[in-house]
Amino acid sequence: MDIVQTRETSHRQADKMDTQRDISPDILCVRELHKNFGGVKALKGVSLALRAGEVHALVGENGAGKSTLIKILTGVFQPTAGDILLDGQAYKPAGPRDAKFKGIQVVHQEFNLLPHLSVSENISFEQMPRTRLGLLDRKEMDRRARVALDAIGLLDVDVRAPVYTLGIAHRQLIEIARALQSDSRILILDEPTATLTDRETERLFKIVAGIRAQGVTVVFVSHHLSEVFANCDRVTVLRSGETIVTEDISVTSPDQLVAHMVGRRLAREMAQEKTTTEPGAVALSLQNFRVEKSPYEEGVSFNLRYGEILGIAGLVGAGRTELLRGIFGIDPVISGQMLREGVPASFASPREAIKSGIGFVTEDRKDEGLILDMAIAANVSLAALEKVSKNGLLNRLAELSLADRLGSMLKLKSGGLSDRASSLSGGNQQKVVIAKWLARDPSVLLLDEPTRGVDVGAKAEIYAIMRNLAQKGVAMLVVSSELPELITLCDRILVLSDHRVQGEIPREAFSEEAILRLAYQRKDQGTKK
Amino acid sequence: MKIIKVAAAAAMTFALATATAITPAMADDKPVVGLVMKSLANEFFKNMLEGANAHEAKRGDYVLKAVGMQSEADIETQINAVENFITQGVDAIVIAPADSRALVPPLKRAMEAGIVVINFDVALDEKAKEENGVDLAFVGPDNRGGAKLAGDALAQKLGKGGKVIIIEGNPGADNAHQRKMGFEDSIKEGGLVLVESRTAHWETEEANTVATNILTANPDIQGIMAANDSMAIGVVKALESAGRSKDILVVGFDNIPAVSPMLSDGRLLATVDQFGQEMAANAIDIALDVLAGSPKPQGWVRTPVTLVTGEK
Amino acid sequence: MNVEATGLAQTPFTGRKKFSFKSVLREAGIGLALVALVIIFSVTTEHFLTANNITNILTQVTINLVLAVGMTFVILIGGIDLSVGSLLALCAVVAGKAISLDVGVPMAISLAVLAAVLAGTLCGVLNGAISAFWALPSFIITLGMLNVARGAALHISDARTIYSFPSEFNAFGSMTFYGIPVVFLVALMLALLAWFVLTRTVFGRLLYGLGNSEEAVRLAGHSVFWCKVAAFTICGFTAGIAAIIYMARLNISSPIAGVGFELNAIAAVIIGGTSLSGGRGSVLGTLLGAFIIGVLANGLILLGLSDFMRQMITGVVIIVAVILDHYRAKYTRS
Repeated sequence: MDIVQTRETSHRQADKMDTQRDISPDILCVRELHKNFGGVKALKGVSLALRAGEVHALVGENGAGKSTLIKILTGVFQPTAGDILLDGQAYKPAGPRDAKFKGIQVVHQEFNLLPHLSVSENISFEQMPRTRLGLLDRKEMDRRARVALDAIGLLDVDVRAPVYTLGIAHRQLIEIARALQSDSRILILDEPTATLTDRETERLFKIVAGIRAQGVTVVFVSHHLSEVFANCDRVTVLRSGETIVTEDISVTSPDQLVAHMVGRRLAREMAQEKTTTEPGAVALSLQNFRVEKSPYEEGVSFNLRYGEILGIAGLVGAGRTELLRGIFGIDPVISGQMLREGVPASFASPREAIKSGIGFVTEDRKDEGLILDMAIAANVSLAALEKVSKNGLLNRLAELSLADRLGSMLKLKSGGLSDRASSLSGGNQQKVVIAKWLARDPSVLLLDEPTRGVDVGAKAEIYAIMRNLAQKGVAMLVVSSELPELITLCDRILVLSDHRVQGEIPREAFSEEAILRLAYQRKDQGTKK
Repeated sequence: MKIIKVAAAAAMTFALATATAITPAMADDKPVVGLVMKSLANEFFKNMLEGANAHEAKRGDYVLKAVGMQSEADIETQINAVENFITQGVDAIVIAPADSRALVPPLKRAMEAGIVVINFDVALDEKAKEENGVDLAFVGPDNRGGAKLAGDALAQKLGKGGKVIIIEGNPGADNAHQRKMGFEDSIKEGGLVLVESRTAHWETEEANTVATNILTANPDIQGIMAANDSMAIGVVKALESAGRSKDILVVGFDNIPAVSPMLSDGRLLATVDQFGQEMAANAIDIALDVLAGSPKPQGWVRTPVTLVTGEK
Repeated sequence: MNVEATGLAQTPFTGRKKFSFKSVLREAGIGLALVALVIIFSVTTEHFLTANNITNILTQVTINLVLAVGMTFVILIGGIDLSVGSLLALCAVVAGKAISLDVGVPMAISLAVLAAVLAGTLCGVLNGAISAFWALPSFIITLGMLNVARGAALHISDARTIYSFPSEFNAFGSMTFYGIPVVFLVALMLALLAWFVLTRTVFGRLLYGLGNSEEAVRLAGHSVFWCKVAAFTICGFTAGIAAIIYMARLNISSPIAGVGFELNAIAAVIIGGTSLSGGRGSVLGTLLGAFIIGVLANGLILLGLSDFMRQMITGVVIIVAVILDHYRAKYTRS
């Protein structure tokens, strides 16, 4: 087993490396990297060593620090502390361009292609070839694109085709072709398979194997452990901004990795007592409920009772947010039925959902949840303006007292209720979003990642608020990527995958392993070593 | 506003195309006269067009095809119109050019195609004509002389040493420039004192504002010369608001209907009529004469300009 | 666009006031610029600070102020209305036709006012409904309306200036009340009403919300469509009012009136610190913005500068005002 070097040795080695080059077989060496965003510590000591020509997996839960690490490696962020050596020399990219120049390329999960330009224009976009007259050399551009595509075996793509005419898989592969076109030494693939079908994934890995054969180091970020085990040489696990371990794939197992990813935190979080209340009548019932993106006829079915907190777990792309948006009347529902207190209901707009007593704490606080530029009180009253107005005229006193009442109930910490929402910390902003819905006294509350970007203290307070609401009989549907959160909060957890319910876990059987097993289940079948 | 121009040009082309399609190949032997006008949003040209239409009905021995444009500066539409007339093979083109230089080459092509061309209202640039080897007479009013008529009327009332201001038209427009020079001629001859000269872009509201402000800075002025009547209206209103209608005299240009009440009660001392309504009709007459065999006109054929006052 | 980089950073509901230099600067930034202009002109020209000239400035500011108040609503929701200048001409022509009817003076005047306001409001509804329903940029829809309205004005009037209105109507245009033009008082009342609507009503609150985050407003259960339509409708309505003031002041209605007025109105709103991307701004700022433009136009003529210099200086002042405001907004941010 090849666990990451201890701090002492790595530092001593670093000192040596500054004077003597090319001693380490490692092409890239990251040591004790720290990154703070204001008060939030995103990285708290990440170390990583990459060997030339290996496929190195980077795994960890959401928020473990994978994205931050990648952004530092590609020059988007500067580290707060720690250093990086590339070929034994200090590596401090000034920006993404510099990182590329030094041979480190990343293919992002979200595409960076320009949809209305052709494949060849996209591939050459960073350095357009010119003719002697300084005009765009289209022939050369097409030729380069052809070479780049052929290099990864993409023989069936027309380089003149606009990118938007291509499928997602092809776009992903074109991104890779573009990244490889300039001399890459390290290629980082950030969740490349999240949107791909099985066949496309297979093709991608064939290409990855080809790249590796050319001596390029590939860093592979994925949630799908089956893919990690099928294609990688080594794996590094991050948790809460720290490197937990680096292991050879041959000597580890998926269960062991999950254990590394989850850590001991499980026990601590579980210690928080959940007083279970007897669930009441069925508040919301879905039967074969499908939104547009849902590929399977069976859709999603479940009952949500008053006083119950039902968790929805699943990987990115499993259809969790889409489910909530469908219920709330934002996205159209294509089939299936929804019963509100036993009566068939379909909401054409959020307005109707709100009228029937439903509230929706969205994942995206900045664009959907809050109006950051407006006063806290104005945000609190936004969904319940009729309560603080008469004949269309606002009653500011009533608005202030509403905000004051809910604010003190939620222990909101602010400079003043007239301050802008943007002046608040993440946790307090989230409390304002919750207050906005509580102002309407909802009987059903949908919550999407209710504690994303919220510090630990505020997290506990939000949990307490939710438990309190459950006791008062509010039905809650909680989507979260943080498994401990679901385990702490929920009475039951549904695990989604591909817009279908993979399984339901009762509170007695809660464990992160159980959830992850269900979440990874479909992909893991038959691929486990 | 490129888009609008293009759209206007397209619409115009389309209109012309349909017009050609409808006119059955000019079967009768009546000569066809193409009239190219400036902006029909301008009352002056609108009147001119009506005069031409009446003229066509009255004479009855020719066919009139008229084209106007959307704005004063829409040169493209005019060039397109000339080219379309050439394609249609009209017998004569009578044009009030929007630009004294840009229209010379297309008009030369028209002349080479054997079409009789008459230039009226605004004279084509002498130098441009020379460079292109075009010999073309101008039929039109003397803007400078007309402005001098109005200016002289004012000078006569004020006497030597009277303080005046000029409200100019669009900077860069040929007629604005001519009228300003005419006013300046009167000022020199009549021994007046020019206090300020400012543009109000032919616009009533702007003239009102500009006049008010100049009046504030120079309360002792005695006369105002406005380069068109729209601006004169704004000036008259400014004097009314300031309570100075009695002691400050105003002259304008164009004799539009809206100023007639002002002329009769003396709020406007005088304006100048250049008989716009007949101007196009006169030019058409000359074109028809040339078609009938008369010699081509030479140089500048001056059309009448008259001073109009409230005194009958 | 950087939302922070905008001036008069008034958000609805700025309740408790802590007195500080920063807060004074925040609320009064553009006002200080206006005071500076006034001082400069008072010192450099003889007639600037006279009762008559102040009356003149108030008159000259009026039409732009009325249009700018309406424009504030549209810009607050992140839209733009390029059609107001043409709408003014259309409303004026329609009203001119109405006022020339032989139905007795009071009736004719009422009909004219009604016609102008109706025409403007209707076009505003169209602007709003079309751009909101198909989610099209208001820039292009109102550019289309600019042409439609101008064409309609020329068509209806047969490109002729309509003149000779009843003297009672004309008197309204030049009437003053203790030296303050009555038409300006009308504009001021309109601005006051707009301020009230924007800061004290649910509708105003939603407009600010819309400009900041349309999605947040929609997810809070409000009808985004009708709010947008209403904003454009108000803008059209103000074009109708401005048309009436134009007619009363000049005693004519011209189909070629108002060319470029939309740009002056937009300039007043933006100088007043309203964000072009919406969500921030105030009617007070717009009022000051309109005054900066008006005072500048008046003062530069009094200074006796040439037309071309005047035009250049006006442009420079607009640019400088916005740049200064950028820094002010930055500085006053806590």
